[in-house]
Amino acid sequence: MTEMTTDNPTGNLQDQKAKEAYFTASQGQLIWARFKKQRAALIAAVILVSLMLSGIFAPFLSPYDPTIAGRDKGYTNGAPQLPQFCDSNGCSARPFIHAVNRERSIQTNFRWVTTVDEDTRHYMKFFVEGDRYELFDFIPMDTHLFGLDSGKIHLFGTDEDGQDIFSRTLHAIWTSMKVGSIGVFIAFVLALVIGGVSGYYGGWIDGVIQMVTDAVRTVPAIPLFMAVAAFMPPEMTAEARFFYISLILGFIGWPTLARRVRTHLLTERNQEYVLAAQLCGAKPGHVIRKHLLPSFTSYIIVDLVISFPYMVLSETALSFIGLGLKDPVSSLGVMLQKATSADVLLNYQWYFIPVVFFIALVMAFVFVGDGLRDAADPYSEAKK
Amino acid sequence: MLQFSRFVLVRAMMALTTLVIVSLVVFTLMELVPGDCAERYMAFKNTQGSGISIDDIEIERQRLGLDRPFLTRWASWIVNAFQGEFGDSCILRVNIAQLLGVKFWLSLGVCLASLALAYAIAIPVGIISAASNNPFLNNGLRLFSYLGLAMPNFLLALMIMLLSTIWFGETLTGLFSKEYRDAPWDWNKFVDLMKHAWLPIFILGWSATAFALQTVRALMSDEIGKLYVTAAAARGVFGAKLLWRYPARHALGPIVNSLGFDLNRIFNELPIVALILTLTEAGALLIEALARSNDQQLAGAIIFLLTASIVTLNFFTDILLAVIDPRVRKSILR
Repeated sequence: MTEMTTDNPTGNLQDQKAKEAYFTASQGQLIWARFKKQRAALIAAVILVSLMLSGIFAPFLSPYDPTIAGRDKGYTNGAPQLPQFCDSNGCSARPFIHAVNRERSIQTNFRWVTTVDEDTRHYMKFFVEGDRYELFDFIPMDTHLFGLDSGKIHLFGTDEDGQDIFSRTLHAIWTSMKVGSIGVFIAFVLALVIGGVSGYYGGWIDGVIQMVTDAVRTVPAIPLFMAVAAFMPPEMTAEARFFYISLILGFIGWPTLARRVRTHLLTERNQEYVLAAQLCGAKPGHVIRKHLLPSFTSYIIVDLVISFPYMVLSETALSFIGLGLKDPVSSLGVMLQKATSADVLLNYQWYFIPVVFFIALVMAFVFVGDGLRDAADPYSEAKK
Repeated sequence: MLQFSRFVLVRAMMALTTLVIVSLVVFTLMELVPGDCAERYMAFKNTQGSGISIDDIEIERQRLGLDRPFLTRWASWIVNAFQGEFGDSCILRVNIAQLLGVKFWLSLGVCLASLALAYAIAIPVGIISAASNNPFLNNGLRLFSYLGLAMPNFLLALMIMLLSTIWFGETLTGLFSKEYRDAPWDWNKFVDLMKHAWLPIFILGWSATAFALQTVRALMSDEIGKLYVTAAAARGVFGAKLLWRYPARHALGPIVNSLGFDLNRIFNELPIVALILTLTEAGALLIEALARSNDQQLAGAIIFLLTASIVTLNFFTDILLAVIDPRVRKSILR
């Protein structure tokens, strides 16, 4: 430090500024600075944000209503249609798709046979008016990002009811985000209360709570919660089902989180600053909220991000076996329900396109969570 | 020796306590299902044409002992459960122990085999990747691990079915060929089982392998830089011998402890994979019991058995750790 002052004043100034910025930076700024250095996590974050945005704006981005209301009766189990610029009749600046004809007669052995009509073009248009929807659940709109001048376009094809798989995929991302967030929130509150009590009081309370938590943790969660999910009466509305499932997922997630909270509290509660607060007459609730929680907020956030994909996957699994969400709701599990039949496996493989998006979503969460964990750990730099 | 048997005894008591707590949770959940066995049975009789009344349901309740208080019924359930007796299934009216019997052992066998497969891959590969500086290998393994986390087993099962139908034109399902399904056990049936079981074993082992790889690698990288390893290398021990005799022995202790959780994870995937591959073992029976018929008696029995096998495994790994790891052994024998 001292020998640099004379020969390089400007460099030193910058150096000092950087140092000052470093030492006065808030916890959030430090984490962001460390997070930015990890390329994989940064890419994953970009993917994650774009997936989240496409989930939030799903009704606008998707050309059709994802439920049975938006179905295309004339194009059930239809193959994906990719917009193109050129065909044998020349090129156009506006992307288009070819019209299709469906026929079922004695010539086709009474199966629907689709033929592409190369001479008829349907041009793509942007900001078209279509099915009504409510953006963010309260702004009524009917403008969609893209559509056709006549007929319908199905980027990822359609399912057996003629519902647009692209629209359903976008809505399913949104459903997963909602279910995951509610589930994570519930798990978080439970973990905070149970882990907080256990870690703060210690002693026999801790012993009993830990024994119960460990016992609950040994029960395989999915079979157990399949049992809980089976209690749902079949006449339940889609919304009620949705909240019930989120609740169940919250109950799946709490033991691991609770243990983390407890372990951290156990080490922190013997620190001097806690003793000081207690000597000043602070109540347990105040000490936990004002002194102990802030000491590991970043760890909690990381844990939440990491537990998010498990919520999404559990929801998918539950819906897939028919114990989770049901048909009017778009969710990956619901969409894959029909995909196990040999007919789909052999003939309609585009049912599986949404899977790619979900793997991307989960991977993005895992990478971001990992990156955040490294970034939130103040010792990660020292280790390297 | 005395201290060791005391340790075993304490562990056994702890395992029993866990099982009792679990049984309380499972039993309470079973009780929360709307309607009880008597109503189910009578409803079934009703569909068969015999008229029934409220009194009939009451009589049936008394016959099944459902009119006793909650705690008494729980106590008798748990006592019977430890003897392997779970009563009759509500819907199927068959003794559950008979119904599950072979199916449960088959599922447990498949799950344990996939656990073994996971570690058979994870331990050598994890050790090698921790020891090598090859970025290609390490990044590939990292990607594989993340894929294992992100691609749940049931999606993998679906993908494999999709590819096998595209390429081979047949779906790989079931645990037995048709002619062996009801045949008595012999060598041929076992061979037939092995021909079918490799797929569920592989699928169930998939994400367990990814998890185990990460654990092995992390534990090994922690140990490999330590001074005693350098010292051993300086004495001229090198290569596989060095890795295996020094850091690996140290690092692999904690892994024994995580076996129980891995089995838990595999059980989580079991019912769903079973559904996709249309296997007819305990996992599929669980779905049947829950989704199709609300058979709480059967569901409770299966969940209890699954948990019991995890607790048993945990108990044995604790003992095993005490036997093989001198640090743990010292702390017990003091």
